[in-house]
Amino acid sequence: MTRGKSEGRRSRRRLPIPGVVLLAGSVLAALAVSGAAVAEETQPVESLRLLPGNPQIWGAEASQQFLLLARFADGLERDVTGQARFDLSDPQVAEVDAAGKVVARSNGRVVLTAAFQDRTASTRVVIDGISEERPFSFARDIGAIFTKTGCNNSECHGGVKGQGGLKLSVNALFPKEDYRWITKGGIYQVMSAEAAGEQKPRIDLQDPEQSLLLLKPTLALPHGGGQRLNPESASYRTLVRWIRDGAPYGEEGSEEIARIERLEVLPREVVLDRKGRHRLLVTAHMSNGRREDVSEQVLYESNDHEIVEVDEAGVVTAKGIGESAVMIRAAGQATSARFGVIARPLPRYPEVAKRNYVDEHVFGKLERFNIIPSETSSDSEFLRRICLDLTGTLPPADRVREFLSSVDPDKRDALIETLLNSPEYVDYWTYFFSELLRVYSGATLNAEHALIYEDWVRKNIAANAPYDRMARERLAAQGFSGPAWSYWTFRDLTPVPEIATEQIRVFLGRRLGCAQCHNHPFENWSQDQFWGLAAFFGDMTQIMEVEKIRGPYFVIDDIEGHGRRKDRSPAKILHPRTKEQVRPSFPDGSVLPDSRRRDLRMRLAEWMTAPENPYFAEAIVNRIWGHFFGRGIVEPVDDFRATNPPTHPELLKALSRDFVDHGFDLKHLLRTILRSRTYQLSGQANETNRDDKVNYSRALPRLLEAPVLLDAITRATGVDSELVVSDEPDASSGAPPGTRAINLIPGMVPSPFFEVYNRNDRRGVPENKPQLTLLQSLHRLSGPTFTSRLTREGSRVDRLLKEGAGDRRIIEDLYLSAFTRFPSDRELSGLEAMLAEQPSRREGLQSLTWALVSSREFVHNH
Amino acid sequence: MKRQERVQEAWPHLRGRREFLRVGALSYLGLGLSDYFQLSSLMASPNAKKAKAQACILIWMHGGQSHLDTWDVKGNSGFKPISTNAPGIQISELLPRVSRHMDKLSIIRSMKNESNAHSEGTYYAMTGHMPTTTTRFPSVGSVVAKELGTRTSVPAYVTTGRGRLNSRSAGFVEPHYEPFIIPEPGAKDFKVTDLVLPDEVSVDALHARHAFLKLVDERYRQMENHANFAKVDSYNERALNLITSPAVRNAFDLSQESEKIKEAYGPGRFGQGTLLARRLVEAGCRFVTIDGWNKEAKHDWDTHYRNDYYVKEELVPPLDRALSTLLVDLEARGLFESTIVLVMGEFGRTPNINPGRGRDHWGHCWSLVLGGGGIKGGQVVGASDERGAYVAERLVTIGDLFATVYKALGIDWTKTYLGPGRRPIYIANSIGDKQGEPVHELV
Repeated sequence: MTRGKSEGRRSRRRLPIPGVVLLAGSVLAALAVSGAAVAEETQPVESLRLLPGNPQIWGAEASQQFLLLARFADGLERDVTGQARFDLSDPQVAEVDAAGKVVARSNGRVVLTAAFQDRTASTRVVIDGISEERPFSFARDIGAIFTKTGCNNSECHGGVKGQGGLKLSVNALFPKEDYRWITKGGIYQVMSAEAAGEQKPRIDLQDPEQSLLLLKPTLALPHGGGQRLNPESASYRTLVRWIRDGAPYGEEGSEEIARIERLEVLPREVVLDRKGRHRLLVTAHMSNGRREDVSEQVLYESNDHEIVEVDEAGVVTAKGIGESAVMIRAAGQATSARFGVIARPLPRYPEVAKRNYVDEHVFGKLERFNIIPSETSSDSEFLRRICLDLTGTLPPADRVREFLSSVDPDKRDALIETLLNSPEYVDYWTYFFSELLRVYSGATLNAEHALIYEDWVRKNIAANAPYDRMARERLAAQGFSGPAWSYWTFRDLTPVPEIATEQIRVFLGRRLGCAQCHNHPFENWSQDQFWGLAAFFGDMTQIMEVEKIRGPYFVIDDIEGHGRRKDRSPAKILHPRTKEQVRPSFPDGSVLPDSRRRDLRMRLAEWMTAPENPYFAEAIVNRIWGHFFGRGIVEPVDDFRATNPPTHPELLKALSRDFVDHGFDLKHLLRTILRSRTYQLSGQANETNRDDKVNYSRALPRLLEAPVLLDAITRATGVDSELVVSDEPDASSGAPPGTRAINLIPGMVPSPFFEVYNRNDRRGVPENKPQLTLLQSLHRLSGPTFTSRLTREGSRVDRLLKEGAGDRRIIEDLYLSAFTRFPSDRELSGLEAMLAEQPSRREGLQSLTWALVSSREFVHNH
Repeated sequence: MKRQERVQEAWPHLRGRREFLRVGALSYLGLGLSDYFQLSSLMASPNAKKAKAQACILIWMHGGQSHLDTWDVKGNSGFKPISTNAPGIQISELLPRVSRHMDKLSIIRSMKNESNAHSEGTYYAMTGHMPTTTTRFPSVGSVVAKELGTRTSVPAYVTTGRGRLNSRSAGFVEPHYEPFIIPEPGAKDFKVTDLVLPDEVSVDALHARHAFLKLVDERYRQMENHANFAKVDSYNERALNLITSPAVRNAFDLSQESEKIKEAYGPGRFGQGTLLARRLVEAGCRFVTIDGWNKEAKHDWDTHYRNDYYVKEELVPPLDRALSTLLVDLEARGLFESTIVLVMGEFGRTPNINPGRGRDHWGHCWSLVLGGGGIKGGQVVGASDERGAYVAERLVTIGDLFATVYKALGIDWTKTYLGPGRRPIYIANSIGDKQGEPVHELV
């Protein structure tokens, strides 16, 4: 189990607050007294860190930049490299400049000491291989220049279609192709491997300075991208030298050339105050096991310029309060560092109670980011939230009273278990996975088949089947089985790449649609990798009994073609650029051997769901986290990519590992999240977390999804929804009374409510989370859900009136049913007074019911 | 930045207009509705004011119209071509009334759809993109609504239904630009869903309800700053205005038209829908999509069976009547120069007749007509081969068509919207994800 590593090495003074619940009031009072942060210069330093620790510098002219970080009395660690004094134990071995850069002179060991105020920090530096020249590599030496200058970024020549005919791969990910476009010339075409136009090299071996490659970016010739290269720069001289040397590729036939295998950034997470500046160090881990300081050769980019800016040296400057990643790219690799900009440091950060490792991660980051989490939720808040999240229902008034009055200290954990084992849980999570796996009824997937498919989902949820098994069954489904219908929803018209894209989105959380036509512009996924995966769906065929127009159909991987109808033969998967038939292969490039070429989709499913495949568990963990918090650790939840880093990478890893270790047990995952204090925090903001939207420092409101909202209205008003179930558009029948809206399959329920609230039809990606629209406001004013329903006999108000209940009792009952809480005294007296003024008591209570189900408090889970 | 300054400058003037569209005690915001609409149109494309066209009516030939029996008559049609009032242009003998107004319309005979299936084809024709599993694209109507904004309190984009595959939706664009959906016009008890208060709710009750809501919302409003109160308030206020404002109700109220004009447009949802579209445009709507076939006919343009019979008896006559009346009516009201009329479906029909005497789906080459809003009339763009099977001259893509419509409306057709995963999406997207170009013969 991963635990927060922040404990112990923090020197921050703690407020001794006893007890489990954080007393936010007193802490905030203490904050107010401490006032604004003391200016950095006048603050004493508590400790120093010198980064990187004990590095080895290798090779001729090699250098290493160092960073000196000082932790001040206000608890913040700041970059003081610029104000530090550096000193080396042996000037013969290396030199250090005022900015903290050490340049190797001869092999040996030295000690670097950095001093700031009255403190010092030091580290040992080993210098080796000083006489060895690093062999030239086009990818490293030339590709790096294109990356550094931005020539190959996705807005310029790295774009999908290249720019002005010249195509470079993003980050020099595919150096061989870049080399070809530069040395052979021609105009890039997206859908063909052939170059168009005249094949004229972009370099001039006879007269290097006259190369197009140099004339354009220096603006000697007009260039749409403006000046990118200064003729005085080192990069320019490197390019000229390379062309003069005959423009070699340099890596052919050589095993010894080191490639960058991984980038490491220091620090990975930085907290800045509003005036903060901080430099980043980037180390390349090479394929030969060595490390290299590449801080000056990589491209830095801020993901949110309103929060931080970064210059080309990797110095990050705070711009506004909030959180942003800084992306770092170098030849074929990308990494990121996370920056938080805070209003002011909290030197007296309170002790925050934690319940499990989820809290260790979330609260650990909150402490580093100087945000205090809200208090634990009230029982009312907790009860409403968990019932909606876990069962999609509101608890009845009696159950609310019961829970609120219970004094059992373990009642929350007990409730979690009760709900996890309830029939409503099965209903709701069947709905959840039917949304994800697209159970719908339509022209090609009729109601009967949709029900078979949904039944398969339901059985898996009811049995709490291991998620990996469920995924394999779905991916590899054959014949008439429930999940085989999932492929039918794509119809025989849907091309194989669309099917593949969808499986990768659902099970691996990645949107690889772009890679169909070109290498993914924001991802380290190539077109070849995509088509290798798509080829696993290439044996699929759909067989139909001709005499029955509506089925049965079945799906089968049928290589030999037994019983296949001619027009439904397996698709030949052709690579769109090379036009060659693609063989099924995994993203690491390994091709599925012919001996294993049976049941192709199962081979893919095995790879996808293997415990070693980190993508699979992370994708579902993130999706479920997103369900409970309204925001994924990676957001959007199905958009994992290098340029969209997670806000809590360690938490995501820990949850995924735990999930895998527990046999992909969904209930275990849910329980772990739900028992955390993080999930159980109140929505009530404090001074420090009011504007936090990404760190889970409090519960944020989430709009209810259309079917859940409709069920909630049913519960609160006490009137069943008149739901219609239909197989055919014209032949509909009423669903049995008590049917829950979440149990109805889209396509079978013509409903004006769903139309207005834009229920997910499960036919495409629901682009937006539930959203507010004008039509909804209109529907609330005059739609039947909010009008005729309220006057119906047998409604909650009607029943209470017939029982002879007084206003106070009725108001209380309505509040408990709609908001899972008692009305406040102010609300109670205000409403009683208003009711007394109404000409008709009944109509007044109907108006109140309308107001409750129309309110913001009602339509959100919070 | 500049635009914001303009809004700021316009502010005092806008506040002066508050009395005009007051909603009274139910106004939650400090800002009146008229301000809201003025603001949203100030935020819209600056070029739009200079453009001739202010609105577009799309008459949708649901199912795929037989181009061979309407706009591009060939030897393999069961019908004869007739001359029109536009020199050199011939159309089907089934369209005698329209033939007298072909100077107002132009025909594109070289349209192409990427799909031969209804759902995919419709989606493509409405958005310029094939449906994918990862992105939902905005429809042309939503783009127009977003770029032009509202002119009055009438919603900017109105349509009958969401269309196949939800193809008339805003896709990944903000839901603010979702269409305002109305039921089928022409039915006896036609009234716009939710636009009229049901009998059991009096205006007094409406006020009482909002008074209760104010109290019920109070606590949460103070507690939560992320619950979109401002947005809900503005929608609630607009909704209330839609219900209480005579202007909006009138726009949807066909009973205010004379029997003579209703008769001229023709019965059913096709004729009456076309009339409603004109009313809506007149009242300030930007984009109206209506269905170009009558439910009573029990047949849409998908004429797999007995093509000639249905085309002649059920489908083309209402089109001839409604379209010709619309052109005359728009002109008489001085709206023709500011209103684009576009008649199209998802694709055409096969050159061959099948054993059921029908024509099947044909996306390779088909026709549409458009005119008004400054679009040049009396032109034929492109040509099909001798059987009407394939494009023989000047392929026009859906992206080119959209670019043409956008240009006429003063919208920058080269624009892109940032889709999911930071992918730029052309608003006029052409085959192969290229940017469409306006048809220069027409705009």
